[in-house]
Amino acid sequence: MQFRHERLANGLDVIAEISPGALSTSVGFFVRTGARDESDSLWGASHFLEHMVFKGTHDLSADEINRRFDWMGAAANAFTSEEDTVYHAAVLPDQQEQAVSLLARMMRPALRDEDFRTEKLVILEEIRMYDDQPPFGADDRCRAAFFGGHPLARSVLGTVDSVTALTVEAMRDYHRRRYAPGNIVLACTGAVDFDALVESARRHCGEWDPLPPPDRAVPPTARPPGGRSTVEAITRPAAALEYAVRMSAGPDGADDDRFPAKVLAVILGDDSGSRLYWSLVDSGDAEHASLHHHDFLDAGLFATQLSCDASDVEAMLARIVDLYVEVGRRGVAAAELEQARNKLAGRVVLAGERPRRRLFGVGLEWARAGRYRSVADDLAIVEGIDLDDVHRVLARWPLHGPSTTVLAGPHAAASL
Amino acid sequence: MKQTLFSATLDNGVVLVGEELPGLESVAVAFHTPAGAVHDGPERCGLATLSGEMMLRGAGDRSSREVVETLEGAGVQWSQAVSTSHASFAGAMVARQLPAALPIYADMLRRPRLEAAEFANARQMVLQNLAGTEDDPSHRAMSALRQLHYPAPWGMPSEGISTQVEALGVEAVREFVAHNVRPGGTIISIAGRIDWPDFVARAESLFGDWSPGAATAVPTGPRGPRFRHVPHDSQQTHIALAWSAPPYRSDESYEASAALAILGGGTSARLFTEVRERRGLCYSVSAGYQTLRDHAAAVCYSGTSAARAQETLDVMLGEIGRLPGTLTAEELDRVKARAKSGLVMQQESSASRANAIARQWYHLGKVRTLADELARYDSITVDSIEAWLAANPVRDMSVVSLGREPLEVTHAVSA
Repeated sequence: MQFRHERLANGLDVIAEISPGALSTSVGFFVRTGARDESDSLWGASHFLEHMVFKGTHDLSADEINRRFDWMGAAANAFTSEEDTVYHAAVLPDQQEQAVSLLARMMRPALRDEDFRTEKLVILEEIRMYDDQPPFGADDRCRAAFFGGHPLARSVLGTVDSVTALTVEAMRDYHRRRYAPGNIVLACTGAVDFDALVESARRHCGEWDPLPPPDRAVPPTARPPGGRSTVEAITRPAAALEYAVRMSAGPDGADDDRFPAKVLAVILGDDSGSRLYWSLVDSGDAEHASLHHHDFLDAGLFATQLSCDASDVEAMLARIVDLYVEVGRRGVAAAELEQARNKLAGRVVLAGERPRRRLFGVGLEWARAGRYRSVADDLAIVEGIDLDDVHRVLARWPLHGPSTTVLAGPHAAASL
Repeated sequence: MKQTLFSATLDNGVVLVGEELPGLESVAVAFHTPAGAVHDGPERCGLATLSGEMMLRGAGDRSSREVVETLEGAGVQWSQAVSTSHASFAGAMVARQLPAALPIYADMLRRPRLEAAEFANARQMVLQNLAGTEDDPSHRAMSALRQLHYPAPWGMPSEGISTQVEALGVEAVREFVAHNVRPGGTIISIAGRIDWPDFVARAESLFGDWSPGAATAVPTGPRGPRFRHVPHDSQQTHIALAWSAPPYRSDESYEASAALAILGGGTSARLFTEVRERRGLCYSVSAGYQTLRDHAAAVCYSGTSAARAQETLDVMLGEIGRLPGTLTAEELDRVKARAKSGLVMQQESSASRANAIARQWYHLGKVRTLADELARYDSITVDSIEAWLAANPVRDMSVVSLGREPLEVTHAVSA
């Protein structure tokens, strides 16, 4: 694998991880914008805009975009998170130019009034769809409570009210500011013709107005509510199970302890073979119990997710906290660490074989840190983590420490 | 594209299929035994799933925990699933771990402990999963649709029915495993960085002395009613439709799946264009092809606000009815391009290929080469699809609505 990088005069970064023998090429535009970059009056705009990008440009209709992706046999899609908006397509290598040029043109959408009105209906359906599904909004509500006044408190989808209130004028202004070339990375993985990629980027993106990259609000208070644990509830009387999301502080995206934090999460709360698995899931006491570490630019958190019988939820949460107290006191065993490292290494190798999986790792890392890490680099990081690293994470961010918990289900109201 | 496929059959009937994927470091192996939910038996819906779970919980000289820790300690990404037709145990790993992993899977199939001490927890886990599916509206709608569309027991939910799972005991599991986990009908597939002769030798030594048993017959019962409303306290109403299609082993399944891809396979397909893009009626709408060995279905799905569900259903039915006589060459070209690139990209994943070649062996008794498959796609024409549509008009449509209020479906049943 070979890595290449070139920056256009207007600031657009073009990067590629080239695997000459690969059977496919993946292309992505990574825009450094997401829910944290919105204001109250723009809540939901990043995600709504992601949909509008597929509704066409001044000389391409939405139907034409859909037809072109299907015509080139592309697996194309997009997603929006708190910090990134990503448009991606996986194609056979002979379609590289078609995929790059179509995605590039889409980055300058028409944002027509009529499309805005119709697509708003689709977004409102998407919000209702998620609201009907487990964990019934407990994840968004927990993040809001955990982050309080910080921009990371905002949910990606927005609410029915915030999306209803959005105007197309505000979205056009948001797009103009946030989709500046210096705020976008064009990334490619797999069988990439890098010279052709740069040439295509110049042709389709070179004329983009070189606005300065926008500022991103990084308030110094990026931390959970201090010292005090909180519990909130969402009542869903008809739900079969009770769902709980619990968040506590963890290392942020600039802290090297984020790597051992992820290993710790595998040891304690991976979907199988972890401490939570053996204690709660294998026994049939809970439908699901897991722990994950999430990191953002200036904040990080550990998220525990639980689903179980409504009448058991307090007991199960208490059992989880007991496990966290126990690991804080006694640490983890060498054998547990070894198993977790091997699991992660296996995942890195398998994901590394698929250009469409590599695209996200390569593109997001560059968008966030302007840095490239190969599969071998990732493996070296996993293999270099030792017990001291994991125990330092436990000491710096005690899992049994102050936390924010949100319950959703039939029992939620009664339990408070 | 060069493709290297292998197959072999052991004397006791175990089938081995393999594909070498150059350039990969990984290997994926999958063990499909004919112990699927179709063998659950009356009033025992969920027995196959519970048995599959029990087979993981201790095998050979390893306890339940040792099985998982040995696999995960070797970096094996393992999975276990029970479908209508099979209980499947799979793992993807760096190729050098294969010799250590194979004997563990052999133990699961041939020497599961099925200990009474594990039974209560295993049954409780199955019941927890069942409760979880109750909270997933689209899963519930599709599950109800399969029960309507396929003749019993082919449409029964493999995850089980709570009241029936609660009544199951460990003896039922032992009996089920003894009858249904057997060499005849078992397919072991492997793909990625493989050494075929070495794999065959290992499989021979692990499975060669496995005694064959008689296949269990599956009496096929009647189909359910054509319409069902599932009350569910949700903002959205979910709509699921199905009608008959030729099974995968029928050559016409290519025409059928191409027709369905034009209807609802991509973002330029008719349902996405008319229901979502033009009218903004929903977030998700699609059509596709599903197959069992002897039965298959054309399936459409959408979920939308209760107030807009009737219009969504009407537009979906309108597009289904409009399909014959209106297909264009451009639509077909897009479907072919998507199918072709999907087939090629599948070669980048050892796990995808291990599943694909096992599936083909189950349905066809052979693995189709990529070249044959691409050639068959190339041979599809607008005329060949139109001929199939004309000979197979949509009839006996099964309709499920799930939500607070039922939909008006007289129109649907006559469509």
